[in-house]
Order: sequence, then structure tokens, then C-alpha cells
Amino acid sequence: MEPNFPAKNFTIPIGPQHPALKEPGLFKFVVDGEIITGASVRLGYAHRGIEKAAEERNWVQDLYLIERVCGICSHIHAFAYSLAVEQLANVQAPPRAQAIRILVAELERIHSHFLWMGVSAHEAGFDTLFMYAWRDREKVMDLLEELTGNRVNYSANLLGGVKFDVNAAQAQSIRSTLDFLEERVRHYQNVVTHDEMFLQRTRGIGVMTRSQAEVMGAVGPTARASNVPRDIRTIAPYAAYSQFPVQMILDTRGDLEARFEVRLEELFESIRLIREILNAMPEGELTVRMPRRIPAGEAVVRLEAPRGEVFYFIKSNGTDKPERLKIRTPTICNLNSVVRLAVGHQLADAPMILAGIDPCFSCNDRMVQISKASDGSEYSMSWKELRQHGIDYYKRLSK
Amino acid sequence: MKTEEILSLAEQIVKSWDWATEVSRPKPNQLDVKVNVLNELLPIIVGLRVKRLGYLSAIVGIDLGVQVNELEVLYYFCPGDAVIVLRVRVPRQNASLPSLSEILASAEVFERELREMFGIEITGLHETEHLYLPDDWPDGVYPLRKDFNPSTLTVQTEKA
Repeated sequence: MEPNFPAKNFTIPIGPQHPALKEPGLFKFVVDGEIITGASVRLGYAHRGIEKAAEERNWVQDLYLIERVCGICSHIHAFAYSLAVEQLANVQAPPRAQAIRILVAELERIHSHFLWMGVSAHEAGFDTLFMYAWRDREKVMDLLEELTGNRVNYSANLLGGVKFDVNAAQAQSIRSTLDFLEERVRHYQNVVTHDEMFLQRTRGIGVMTRSQAEVMGAVGPTARASNVPRDIRTIAPYAAYSQFPVQMILDTRGDLEARFEVRLEELFESIRLIREILNAMPEGELTVRMPRRIPAGEAVVRLEAPRGEVFYFIKSNGTDKPERLKIRTPTICNLNSVVRLAVGHQLADAPMILAGIDPCFSCNDRMVQISKASDGSEYSMSWKELRQHGIDYYKRLSK
Repeated sequence: MKTEEILSLAEQIVKSWDWATEVSRPKPNQLDVKVNVLNELLPIIVGLRVKRLGYLSAIVGIDLGVQVNELEVLYYFCPGDAVIVLRVRVPRQNASLPSLSEILASAEVFERELREMFGIEITGLHETEHLYLPDDWPDGVYPLRKDFNPSTLTVQTEKA
């Protein structure tokens, strides 16, 4: 039943239960009827105090702690941490180790983009695409398991190198899976750019101009869909990316459709890159000897995670523990932009705009509470109902 | 723009007027700027922003400990390959910094974090609610300070 409200501004909290998101958030949307007029964000529901905990553990223990910052892009965090500690100790991991690191990073990007595509398709009510995308994602997970022994938290990094090698049989199974995935990505690209129902939910929605993206500090595919050339792999190549250069994917439109296209194009680029790495894998050792003591100093490392730039700062005081470890993840930059972007949009677009930045969304239910400003009575809506509201809204429009 | 051009342009900005800045180059792609007078922080950042060097990557707070009795705040600007870091120091008691949010909208979330984790008052910040910490977190307890003692929080868990 439709609740009967007087025409006033309401605040609609969405969240905070987003269990798969590293930073489950509470988004408060102020709406005037169907139109969003204001938005704010509140995080910290999964704040585990990792930055503080890292100060209490030694350099090696921290590697395992850091790997658990994120459940989707676990490798990139351990990768960033290892690079930062190596920078402090003034050692370089061997070329083969660096190549294996970026190989795993690109596989991780593929699985993360597939995951995102599935979740956003689900938010738009396109569950067939969601199921197919997640089915195909399993192939990448299987590859990662075959390589490292784990589906998530691959634990590929060591301080000074990597734990495992890639043998000929594994390289072969990666190649054949990539052939399959490439075919699938081509199909999905066709679907998201031609399916009229889906385009209704993405084309011209959540537009962020280039200057908005720059001012709000957007990063990753979200920024690149607004034509901001910000891909750390290209502008500041790290590890083996200078040896295996990446083509930056840009789009000028800045809407949700552009964010889909940028990510799908990036999948092709990752597939191409992995093939290249396998063809020209440098020979040599997997690890280099690390000094027992990490000298005092400061290190800054910037890496391109699937969602954008990850920033690591480590200060060492010469003891066996870091003095300060600072992690800045891409989602925090993009959330800031989404909160401002949503203003002026239909409430029905909110799920897609939120999902569009890829904030590690899960498909679990979230509570949405519509509180009535004047007399205090409340009307609750689950995330499922809000999502359904979005789907129904667009169905009504298309009739 | 090339890294070298970015860094020399940034160096020019931070050395203009009679600003009391100390500049060094710890790494080939890094410019390290100590901002000794707090009032000069905002004009320098406006300068970086005008020259399109104002991509703020992160704000890092560091507690230098009870002995030094100071907090250090690092503003990391990362245009292209270059890293420009502005360092300011504030006393641990009644620490206060001006907000960048009028110049750089992206600074707001970083400042909210700095405020609640280190207890640095940010003047001019519109949103002063907690960003990460719980709503009923006790006042005056700042978890990323070195003298933070988690055992003081036991009362809080009983409350629920």
C-alpha cells in the first residue's frame, strides 16, 4: 500500500547493512517527492581498526593482516604493502616476481569487474545478466585457486617476492580460460550497449562531467568514464607495468553506460595483458633476501586497484613494527562523488548510481526507512523493495 | 605535463612570496614541503589547485608521541607521476587546522576522518558527524593517537 505523505522533504536512510562491502555505508537521501535533493554518507560499520592494529604487529604479521583489508581485491592491498616495505628496505623484488604480481592483479581485476557487472545488472532488475556474469566469474576464481590454492586472500605476496611460480600447465589453463572469457565479454558488451530496457537504466543516468570528477577526486573506472586520465598503471607504472604497458580506457560521456563500457573495455585490456605476460615471462628468482631490520623512513605507494587508486603510506621508525600505516582506498573517493551526483535524480535511480561506482555491493537485503518529518510516523522499505521500486518505475515509464 | 615540470612548478608555487616553507626532494618524483606557518597552508593549496596540481590523494595524520607533543599532518597531492607532500605540525592539545573543503570538495571525507581519529578540530568543515566511529563513541578519545587505551572503552560495550 502506498503511504500517504504530505508534500514535505523526507530523509531516506539507505543502509547501513551492506555485508560484502568493505565499508558498509549509510546513505541518507533527502527527497522531495521522487526527486533527491540532498545526500550524505556515514561509514564505519565494518571499521576494524586495521591501521591501528598494524602498529601493534611486526612487518611480516602485517602482510597477513593487510591482505584481509578487502575480500574482493585482497591481492592489491598485500601488493601495495609489500612494495612499500620493499621501498623502505631499499630492495627490489626480482622481475619474475613482479610479473607474477601483476598477473594476479589483472586476474583479480577480471573477477572484480565481472562481480560488479553482475551486481549492477541485478540492481537494474536484469537478473539473467547477473547470473551469467557470476557464472563466468567462477572461471577466474578457479584459475586463482589453481595458481595460489585460494579463491580469495590468495596470499601471493611475500616481502621481497612471491610465494609461487606459474608453470607451463597453469599457463595453458589460464590461456584457455581467457579465450572463453574474451568471447563472453564480447557478448556482454553487446548486451549492455544494445539492450533497450537496460539502456533505459544506464544511458544519461548519473552523469558526472570531467570537471566534476576532477574536483570531487573520483578515481578508477568511475573517473575514466568521465574522461579523467587517471590510471596509475599508465601514468605512474609500478612493478612490471613499465615492461607490460597498459592502454588507458577513457570515455567522454560520464554516465552509467560509460562506466559499463569502460570496465568492459578494461576486461579486454586485462586479458590482452595477461597473455602478453605469459608469453614474455621474465626468467629468474621468485624472491630476494629482505634485511631483518627495516630502516627508518617513509614510503608512499600508489596502485591501481580494480576500483581505482589505492594509496599506501608507511612510516617506519627502525623497529620491527611500523610507526604508522595509512590506507586510502578508492571507494572513499568515489563515495564522495556519488553522494553529490545523486542530487537531482529520481529515487528510482539511487540503486544504480550507488552500484555504478562499484562500492563492493552485496546482494543482501538492506533496510530503507522512510521517516516522516512532521508527525514522526515511519514507513520502512527494504533494499529489495527500493530496487523493485526502481524496476517498476521504469516499467511504468516504458508503457 | 612531465614529472619534472610538475615538480618545478610546484616548487615555484610553494616558494613564492615570503612563505616560510622548507623544500626538499627526497625522491626523484617527490617534493617535500614543510609548511611552518599554518596560515600559509590554504594559499599554497589554492596555488596548486589553480595550476591543476590539486589532485588530493590522501591526508595522513601521524601522532609524533607524548614526548614531542605534536601531531603531524601530511597532505599528499599526486598529479600524474609526481608526489607533492605538504607537512604541517600542530600541538596535541587544542589542535586545529583550516578546512580545505571550500577549495577541494574531495578533502571533506579525509578531514572528517582526521578529526575523529586524531582529535584535530577542522575549522570550516560543514559535516562534523562521525564518519567511521560509532555515534556513541566517547568524546575526547582518539583511537589513532599513540596514547589511546582500548580498555577505556569497556563501559561502552556494556551500554548496548
